[in-house]
Amino acid sequence: MASTSKKLIQHVMKEEPIGSRNKVTVVGVGMVGMASAISILTKELVDELALVDVMEDKLKGEALDLQHGGLFLRTPKIVADKDYSVTANSKVVVLTAGARQQEGESRLNLVQRNVNIFKFIIPNIVKYSPNCIILVVSNPVDILTYVAWKLSGFPRHRVIGSGTNLDSARFRFLMGERLQIHPSSCHGWIVGEHGDSSVPVWSGVNVAGVSLQKLNPDMGTEKDKEDWKSVHKTVVDGAYEVIKLKGYTSWAIGLSVADLVETMLKNLRKVHPVSTLVQGMYGVKDEVFLSLPCVLGNSGLTDVVHMTLQPDEEKQLMKSAETLWGVQKELTL
Amino acid sequence: MASIMQKLITPLASSSEPPRNKVSVVGVGQVGMACAISILLQNLCDEMALVDVIEDRLKGELMDILHGSLFLKTPKIVADKDYAVTANSRLVVVTAGVRQQEGESRLNLVQRNVNIFKHIVPQIVKYSPDCIILVVSNPVDILTYVTWKLSGLPKHRIIGSGTNLDTARFRYLMADKLCIHSSSFDGYILGEHGDSSVPVWSGVNVAGVNLQKLNPNIGTDSDKENWKQVHSEVVQSAYEVIKLKGYTNWAIGFSVANLTESVVKNLSRVHPVSTMVKDMYGISEEVFLSLPCVLNSAGVSSVINITLNNEETDQLRQSASTLWNIQKDLKDL
Repeated sequence: MASTSKKLIQHVMKEEPIGSRNKVTVVGVGMVGMASAISILTKELVDELALVDVMEDKLKGEALDLQHGGLFLRTPKIVADKDYSVTANSKVVVLTAGARQQEGESRLNLVQRNVNIFKFIIPNIVKYSPNCIILVVSNPVDILTYVAWKLSGFPRHRVIGSGTNLDSARFRFLMGERLQIHPSSCHGWIVGEHGDSSVPVWSGVNVAGVSLQKLNPDMGTEKDKEDWKSVHKTVVDGAYEVIKLKGYTSWAIGLSVADLVETMLKNLRKVHPVSTLVQGMYGVKDEVFLSLPCVLGNSGLTDVVHMTLQPDEEKQLMKSAETLWGVQKELTL
Repeated sequence: MASIMQKLITPLASSSEPPRNKVSVVGVGQVGMACAISILLQNLCDEMALVDVIEDRLKGELMDILHGSLFLKTPKIVADKDYAVTANSRLVVVTAGVRQQEGESRLNLVQRNVNIFKHIVPQIVKYSPDCIILVVSNPVDILTYVTWKLSGLPKHRIIGSGTNLDTARFRYLMADKLCIHSSSFDGYILGEHGDSSVPVWSGVNVAGVNLQKLNPNIGTDSDKENWKQVHSEVVQSAYEVIKLKGYTNWAIGFSVANLTESVVKNLSRVHPVSTMVKDMYGISEEVFLSLPCVLNSAGVSSVINITLNNEETDQLRQSASTLWNIQKDLKDL
């Protein structure tokens, strides 16, 4: 007796169906991982989303919760498993796994804890998606992007750190509040380390091409009556403040990740401040990753935009590079 | 000495117009924030307000979202424990209250949540006397009744999220068995959002082909294909997700955004939501149960007179009786 399915539907295709063409994996289903997943799903960027984590119950619960919303989404396949085979053929793998900052803890403290976790994760990613782009989000992101690059054996254009994409977004939000203009029309770049020593490039801050530093030459200095320097300070303190209030940050970083994933999957070649290998630039001699404005597309990070930096801005970059290298050379990879 | 702002920008018109599509979310727990982020990601409102009693968490959630403003198209997002911040809302989503613990049924939560609503509802109405209230907190059917009583608003302006999510889960699970997308599978779960929800097997169809005609035993115990199991899975879904990850949020968040869209965009789409069903299907009590309702900017503008068989009508009446038994003992409404 034919089943309801067979009575209703006649299968007519003779070949095997083609697999997904735009798959993204999110490793780690904590608050950051899930915020990234939700942002990616509602922006309809992928035809398949895979989730991986070591905590099996939580992983299964999160996947079920997303699948139950399938009617409202346009992502037909959402899979999850602690086994990395579920991640096969991903275009982009978003790495959010690892320990997170506790209240008052700096990002650099997390390093060795997260390096050990990456030693397990990276080879598994590479095994199942040898041609993917790895987007590292876990902190300290600049060091962990270096670690991911070393452990993966990937060329440098396929290992990217989310870097100061979020810092710059926070800066532009604050700038927008001051000027009563939407952040997308306020331009400002924060480069260098994603953390306490990030570098605001004041000379580039502009609206409609009008340089704000030209209107206010004291901008970014101690003499500035409008104290724009405190805007940068608020950005640096941003994460700590949110963590103190709600225990963690998730929404802003999730949106920022989806923004980067969109540019890569759609091959937009937009410029984003993300963490990349800066050896040989701005006097940096070591193999460190820092954020600079980079062109992103479906092959990954193809170009770096050369910024004209002030001498003290260059010095700050070099100093960050030294600090990071100081930590990196002590790591057992 | 003119500020940057004065040098950069020449104002032409005052920009303080009242919002046209403001949505407020009461409660910034996991469900409230999932609703908020789904609504923001789908660009459904021009202003969003968040309210809660836990001030730190509320501020932290607001900051986290604001830091992502660059990636959003909702220019004004505010939060306060004072309901003045919700003034002039078109829609207020109520997610506040205690949630089900592992193994706890929704009906157990009642009196605890009634007491909370006595504070919330009058405040909502005070600041947005023309709004539509969408109740999500559980047990949703009873709390929608409670909201209606406490608000003094006409019944078409009080909606319970009801079985919109159960139906979404049902369509997802049924469609999965047929290897099609859930939006191409039509079916309704009505009645109580909870253990005694009613799957309307007589209406279940794909492309207008009625599945009960293909399989007259569908939904009964004598069905060899055991389609009834799908409904059991729907009833168990929330408990299962809670057991695995501690709570549910993503699916309900998407479901609420789906309802919000119909109201805010005046779509007149049909959704199974909780509405006042006295005098329908032989129900004599003042209870709220889910029926297919036409939702638009007026709220529940009409109810579809879906044909139910005797068994289904009995189940509805039974639910009505169960709910009324609890409602009649509630104090101070």
